[in-house]
Amino acid sequence: MSDIALSLEGLDKIYLRRSKRPVYAVNKLNMGIEKGEIVALLGSSGCGKTSTLRMIAGFEDVTNGTITLAGRRIDQLPPAKRNVAMAFEGYSLYPPLTVRDNIGFALKSSAMQPAQIDRAVKEIAGLVEIDSILDRYPSSISGGQQQRASLARALVRRADLYLLDEPMGQLEPQLRAVLRGRLKNLLAERAMTSIFVTHDQTEANALADRIAVMEGGVLQQFATQRDLKDRPANLYVATFIGEPPMNVFDAGLTNADRVRFDVANGPMLDYAASELPQAVRAAIGGRAKAVVGVRPHFVKLGAGPHAAQVVSNQWLGDQSHLALNVAGKLLVAVSHAPVPVKAGETICYAINASNLHVFDAETGEAVCHGAEPA
Amino acid sequence: MEHTSTLERLIRGVLIALVLLFFLFPIFWIFLMSFQTNEDILRIPPSVLFTPTISNYQALITGKLVTVAGTLDIAFMKNLWNSVLLSTVSVGLALILGVPAAYAFARFKFPLSEDIAFTLLSFRFAPPLLVLLPLSLYYEQIGLTDTYVGLIWVYQLIALPLILWIVRGYFEDISPDIESAYRIAGHSWWRTFTRIAVPLAGPGIAASGLLAFIFCWNNFVFALILASADKQPVTVGSLAFVTASGIQYGQIAAAIVLSITPTLAIALWAQRYLVEGLSLGAVKG
Amino acid sequence: MAQIEVQNLHKSFKTGKVLNGVSLDAETGQIVVIFGPSGTGKTVLLRLIAGVEEPDAGTIMLQGRDMTEAAPEARGVGMAFQNFALFPHMSAYDNIASALTAGPMTAMQIKAKVDKVAALLKITHVMQHAPRELSNGQKQRTALARALVSDPRILLLDDPLRNVDAKLRYEMRLELPSLLKASGSTVLYVTQDYKEAMALGDKIAVLLDGAFVQIATPAEVYRKPASLGVAQLFGDPALNMVPAAPVLRNGAPVFELGGATLAMPVSYAGAAGRDCVIGIRPEALVVEEQPGPGSFPVEVVAVTPLNEKSVLLLRTMDGRELLASEPGDEVASRRHGPACARFDADSILVFDAASGLRIASQLN
Repeated sequence: MSDIALSLEGLDKIYLRRSKRPVYAVNKLNMGIEKGEIVALLGSSGCGKTSTLRMIAGFEDVTNGTITLAGRRIDQLPPAKRNVAMAFEGYSLYPPLTVRDNIGFALKSSAMQPAQIDRAVKEIAGLVEIDSILDRYPSSISGGQQQRASLARALVRRADLYLLDEPMGQLEPQLRAVLRGRLKNLLAERAMTSIFVTHDQTEANALADRIAVMEGGVLQQFATQRDLKDRPANLYVATFIGEPPMNVFDAGLTNADRVRFDVANGPMLDYAASELPQAVRAAIGGRAKAVVGVRPHFVKLGAGPHAAQVVSNQWLGDQSHLALNVAGKLLVAVSHAPVPVKAGETICYAINASNLHVFDAETGEAVCHGAEPA
Repeated sequence: MEHTSTLERLIRGVLIALVLLFFLFPIFWIFLMSFQTNEDILRIPPSVLFTPTISNYQALITGKLVTVAGTLDIAFMKNLWNSVLLSTVSVGLALILGVPAAYAFARFKFPLSEDIAFTLLSFRFAPPLLVLLPLSLYYEQIGLTDTYVGLIWVYQLIALPLILWIVRGYFEDISPDIESAYRIAGHSWWRTFTRIAVPLAGPGIAASGLLAFIFCWNNFVFALILASADKQPVTVGSLAFVTASGIQYGQIAAAIVLSITPTLAIALWAQRYLVEGLSLGAVKG
Repeated sequence: MAQIEVQNLHKSFKTGKVLNGVSLDAETGQIVVIFGPSGTGKTVLLRLIAGVEEPDAGTIMLQGRDMTEAAPEARGVGMAFQNFALFPHMSAYDNIASALTAGPMTAMQIKAKVDKVAALLKITHVMQHAPRELSNGQKQRTALARALVSDPRILLLDDPLRNVDAKLRYEMRLELPSLLKASGSTVLYVTQDYKEAMALGDKIAVLLDGAFVQIATPAEVYRKPASLGVAQLFGDPALNMVPAAPVLRNGAPVFELGGATLAMPVSYAGAAGRDCVIGIRPEALVVEEQPGPGSFPVEVVAVTPLNEKSVLLLRTMDGRELLASEPGDEVASRRHGPACARFDADSILVFDAASGLRIASQLN
């Protein structure tokens, strides 16, 4: 039995409004996080991720449901009694204290010696690269530095759970890449159970062991980055995860001796029955319509049974993005090598059956991923 | 954070009721007085029960007051008309001058603009009595005493600063990019001002205009000193009820009711207008 | 005759000097991207060209005519703003039509043009809505429609995709080039996203510290950046910077890294004896188990996936941190711990440590 550190059961956050329908900011959320795990709450703005974080921290009341941390129920406790450390999106440093004192603030009430506190503060400050400004005041440092100080303040504590709200949103891309590596290292080394909120999937992918994708207050899927990418539970997750986004097409489906996906100007994909396992063909069943998805990196260019006209060929330094015209929509392909073809020319492409995703046309639920039924 | 106990709500209700009572009671009492004869008013102990009469209102409207000493002519209706005229024209003039000026203050940072703006606002702070004596002497010299023009000019001291400051704030809230976009779309500066800036500042212009109207209407001192009988507004005109034969409380009450009805109605109506206001969804953030 | 000719523009505000002598040309039908980090004056430059602000010095020629002093309404440009700047008290239709109502067209003609551009941008169904009822994506398209509807010869786009969500931003990035080319306008496009710059621009003008440090094609800016500042802005993750002082050994330049002596291409012999910064792009660093020619020992500290790539955080024996990236994100199979790194010597970039300018090899 794995070691569950944090458990959310039936969590609801409902806003009642006069003479209008109630708003479900968070809707029946169930989630279990293991000790030492790093979890990302990922979604676009308004999806409920920040509300969830604030309920766990204690800054918002829970409408329904329970939150259990390290074996005790915390949803009715005030924030100070939950043993949770939080780094806020708005910087919230104490203005009259220096950065050093801000970071070490919570440690003062612990049993640590001043020398120990000083060492811990210096170490964390070095990690986020603010050791040169430890003796400055919050009003005199930049937004990015304030954000890192806020992060350091949360990380230096010994808590059961660490909550980080968009921890690197204000930082430049270069710094972000380096800090991500260091932060991941620190959290893993010290087995710090943490949840962080972000709308940036690169951040989620880089730091998290598992990612919870939320939309409209509902948890869409809670899985590793690999699973979200290779086995998305529904169309929302499939098109949200991945840059460039997954190509999706409405297709007519014929499931006979050949399995064919047809779009407006002809077959888009055509497979021999043997290329798809029986289990998959059974899952697709007798549907006449489906939504097919394929990730841009798996559209193989240059050779293959299908052809399309190139709409654009953009080279981005370390990879090429091409857009092909299929049924009036754009099929995006990514290649790590330059592709010598210009807009207006025709190119052949192939999509291996194992890279194909099929979704139900009505519900958006996944039907099969490549060679396996969903 | 969302639970307020029943006790809190009870205390809150009681306090609100007390405040309302404090403010509304005088108006309520005056309203009652306006329907009472002088005898009812002066009766001790005062009573809420009485036979209502409309003789006070009749006296005001017909302009004839019957007292024990004889029949007096009352110019109340003329006073009412003066109030309407002075307030509307003053506010109208202040809007014509103030709205473009507010725009200038909001958009163009010329030297000393803050200082000039503050000076103009300071006119609101200065007690009118400070300027009245010298002003009345100057008015005598240039022949503006007891003229509508003279009064309207003085009333700008009340209306203009208010309109400038409120409308300037509204203009500042409009993102300059919106006006830039309209100019780039091919429209002249004047069209941008009239078609974009003024409509978007509309709630502010309306609110400040209405507020200025109320303050002009309520003004007493300027009209008292700088105007006489046939140019006086209702605020001064009410003094006429202090007659040689005694204070006509009933008529005063009726006069007050008639005087405050327009401004009260405006304030209630404008409140809804302002709350509806335009929401600027057109600019991100 | 260039459609847009900007010469030596200067502009200061109370907060400081924003543009310090910038010059730029754009030919008919070109898309020129003005690229740089936030706050560097890109939006100010666009405003000067639109006529909404006046330069302190310099000239602006549009379609061959001097427009430095001209009012915005006389310049005949179309502009789309970063925060949309739609008129809140008008419907989407009226917003777009405003670009035509100042001219001589009849209402029927205006309607035809507005309907056409709305269909092109797929916003026909929201024409009667007020801006506050539109989603961000629809607002952005309405702003773009307003800029395009009058068929302006010159189009100024100020980071139009900035405030739009990632999925829509990618779609627009694919559609915009053909849309803009079809309109035939000369386009100045401002962005902070280097991928957008490389995807859209015929030319990229990199604005740093109030001046253009490089104006070149995307390929040149990526492969031959004029300075360290430029090189750092293009590439995700950003390029590794290694301070070094190359010396000549047997006539060939070499430098120290991570305890090993690594060879540079002979054409960089001129860099010997100077204080340099060597730039190594993450995709050029190869991390292997076994040492090979030109390898140096590293420790793999962390591996993070990044869009179908893996980014490895490496630490050399002398404590320097490097980032390497490789295709495929089989993160689980990547082991932490000791490994060997090497790079193709021809792929490095060499910069002068003092000035930051790139030192060209004798070949380029």
